[in-house]
Amino acid sequence: MATDNTATTAFGEVSRVRGIVFEYLSFGASVFGIFALAVLLIYVTIDAFDLANANPLWLLTYFITLVVPFLGFCLYSARDPAVTRRALVAAGGGLVAIAAVFTAIEAFVGQIPRLNWPLAYLFVVIIPLTGYLTYVGAQGRAGSVGFGLIGRLLGGTAIGLAFTVLFLVFDARLWFLVYTLGVVPAVLAYGYGRIRSVPTAQTAAVPVAIGGLFVAVFLRPVVDTYPTTVFIYLWTLAVPVAVAGGFVVNARGSRTAALAAAGGPLAVATGVGLLGQPLGLGVGGPNALLVVAVAGVPTAVYLHRVADVGEGVTGLGLPVLLVAGALAGALLVESFGLPAPDPWLNGSFVTEAPSRNAREAGLYPAIVGSVIIIAMVAALSFVLGVATSVFLEEYTADSGIVGALTRMVQINIANLAAIPSVVYGLLGLAVFANLIGFGFGTAVTASLTLSLLILPITIISAQEAIRSVPDDLRRGSDAMGATRWQTTKNVVLPEAFPGILTGTILALGRAIGETAPLIMIGAATTVFSAPTSLFSRFSAMPMQIYAWADFPQAEFRYGVVAAGVITLLIILIGMNGTAILLRNRAEGEN
Amino acid sequence: MTDSIESPDLQRRSGLTRLKEGTYGGFFAACAVVTLLTTIAIIATLLSDAVVFFSEVPIRQFLTSTNWSPNPAGGGQAFGIIPLVIGTLTVTITAAFIALPVGTLTAIYLSEYATPNARSILKPLLEVLAGIPTVVYGYFALVYVTPALKAMLFPEMSTFNALSASLMVGIMTIPMVSSISEDAMSAVPDDLRQAGYGLGATKFEVSTGIVVPASISGIASSYILAVSRAIGETMIVVVAMGAQARMPPVQEAVFGIPFVNPADVLIDSGMTITVAMVQIAGSDLTGGTLPYDAMFALGLTLFVVTLVMNVLSDIIAERYREEY
Repeated sequence: MATDNTATTAFGEVSRVRGIVFEYLSFGASVFGIFALAVLLIYVTIDAFDLANANPLWLLTYFITLVVPFLGFCLYSARDPAVTRRALVAAGGGLVAIAAVFTAIEAFVGQIPRLNWPLAYLFVVIIPLTGYLTYVGAQGRAGSVGFGLIGRLLGGTAIGLAFTVLFLVFDARLWFLVYTLGVVPAVLAYGYGRIRSVPTAQTAAVPVAIGGLFVAVFLRPVVDTYPTTVFIYLWTLAVPVAVAGGFVVNARGSRTAALAAAGGPLAVATGVGLLGQPLGLGVGGPNALLVVAVAGVPTAVYLHRVADVGEGVTGLGLPVLLVAGALAGALLVESFGLPAPDPWLNGSFVTEAPSRNAREAGLYPAIVGSVIIIAMVAALSFVLGVATSVFLEEYTADSGIVGALTRMVQINIANLAAIPSVVYGLLGLAVFANLIGFGFGTAVTASLTLSLLILPITIISAQEAIRSVPDDLRRGSDAMGATRWQTTKNVVLPEAFPGILTGTILALGRAIGETAPLIMIGAATTVFSAPTSLFSRFSAMPMQIYAWADFPQAEFRYGVVAAGVITLLIILIGMNGTAILLRNRAEGEN
Repeated sequence: MTDSIESPDLQRRSGLTRLKEGTYGGFFAACAVVTLLTTIAIIATLLSDAVVFFSEVPIRQFLTSTNWSPNPAGGGQAFGIIPLVIGTLTVTITAAFIALPVGTLTAIYLSEYATPNARSILKPLLEVLAGIPTVVYGYFALVYVTPALKAMLFPEMSTFNALSASLMVGIMTIPMVSSISEDAMSAVPDDLRQAGYGLGATKFEVSTGIVVPASISGIASSYILAVSRAIGETMIVVVAMGAQARMPPVQEAVFGIPFVNPADVLIDSGMTITVAMVQIAGSDLTGGTLPYDAMFALGLTLFVVTLVMNVLSDIIAERYREEY
């Protein structure tokens, strides 16, 4: 083959042109899709934050007060002169290159719509550079401490907000009864059995919990005096979170530190809860208590650990640095009277209901709907997915009924994964909505449908995680006389857990963006108030985006929908980022 | 092991333990059965309503009629799948024109040319393409791609059109082709490559003359899966392609040979099978009406087509796989 085109050349000489062209062609192909998506994302971001109308001086102000200190922090954390040099060259050279290319294009080709060179510089150089430096900085001590702190603050706040959203639908008073009568006695029984080595007490925990649950469900319609919501949240969520945090610190260090780590955030949360609405963002007193407690306790535990280890303590200044930068930027913009852009994606967008008026339109009911659905899908698909994959990997047999069942399920899963999502929508419509009678477009119908939709993905990834557990561990457990369930529970599942969790979160990312099945089961495109029960009509973020994309007005097309798309993508990135972090951490441990 | 009484009882377990073991095993098996039940439920629901539909509208009419207007308010009801098939084929073929070559080249680059560093960056980025919600792609097609195409290439393009929807479907399916093809290419043993180099082949010749033919079964099955994904794609086309079931205008070329100008189909709105289902779902969900049943007939068509393609891809991957 090598000789067909260059028969006359001397031995050992072959034209390299074809090979080089092909290499660059294939490289171009691999970045084609990524490049196209990047351009579209740049435009949607510009629209969502109204950056096309941003004053270059406004951009410059925030660049200097917010971005430069952050990049400096990352470089400080990396402590690598080579990285610093590279970053400076990229930032400086990028500025010159972008300005030159942009001027050339505008002079010879024509105006590029809604993009000027400061924005192009921001998107093409600064954002990738920030991403790179964040990655490099996170490897250093100070950086990992700082990002860990921010991660706990943001993640805790997000989980706390998700809890408050769930209490919009689920009955907080029922939860109070279940918690008081079922969960607390069961945990006490288990703990007592564990400490005093009484196996019967440990075994009794499960029946106690189930009994408490039944009693609670029975008592709920009978009892009609309940403590205030603040007290319920404090007793059923904030206190256990704080106690858990206290135990973690106690196991690591002193008793006083444990008391401080548990009591400090709890006290702040109680104060916030009793005072009312200091948090803004539409988060009322009891809800603020929940958010502060769920975000505060892990943060306090983390702070204690960092102080204990004593490395990279300077990283704790990162949140302060960012907040101070944002405040300084705002102050400068205010004092110089710089015209600020009017972003579509702002605080009121995520806290207001949809509206005919573009400026007043918000995504709040759809966000609540999505959170509720995803919470239920997570619970359902996790249990079903893990149980099925355990069956397929651990309880499998080559022959007999079990063997036949395993083979059938295995083939079936591959086929289920390929069925279009609209068809799952038809299943939900016919079975859950019509046949069982959960109703059209209710949250229950939607979550059941979406759970079945992502079940194949969950199972396949969980199977991979379980398969990657070394067989030696299983054999070791078997040799000590453990039963199959004991091996699974004590050896296989703990080892495979990070992998299973990663796969499940990635699958949930798919579920949160699904629209077609929701349309098929009759979910509302627009609802004006958040759902109040599992059987009320709801909307979800992608449904609302679908509805708005149909509006012909430019404010909706290029403003409100862009803001919705960015909100959805931010939530997706948050979920997938968490999944990847979990995976990396699990890989780092092994 | 004999059954004699002296032999040690290695399975010595109390009844409670055995009961616990059996309960857990049964629970796991029950969960596994849920996936089987899902398939059975899908087939049963699709069939039961489709049978009602086909007793009203003969299958033959459904498959050969060229008019689709399920809405009884607009006068005559007609259920002919041909215009929907044309719409679906338009999107699928156009998307395939993008996804298949780009995906294959990407797979070749990742498996043959890319450094480990470049791979570790490119692969997650490509996965992002598949992870973006499809309604977002549809919005991009409608709001950014269509105006750009209109300004640059096709001034007479309509707001809802097949081309920009197909472009987005193509981009979305690139990672599907590239990841499966790349797995197949990476599975080609290095001995074959080294043998090629030993015969004096260049890297290009090794890639296209050895690696691609050796992994052709994997590449083909990735093509089929990607096409089947494009057929079932819903939200991109719903948002960006409009909802008008139409037959393409037939023109006459020299010697009276009829032909359809692809540009006419591409720059105009159209309707795929999935769009037709969504449209009915948006108007009528009470059940028992003819359009409601038609939705299930369309779903059955979609289900059968994607299932056949999936099985086909499995067979190709199994039967023509080179064993090394």
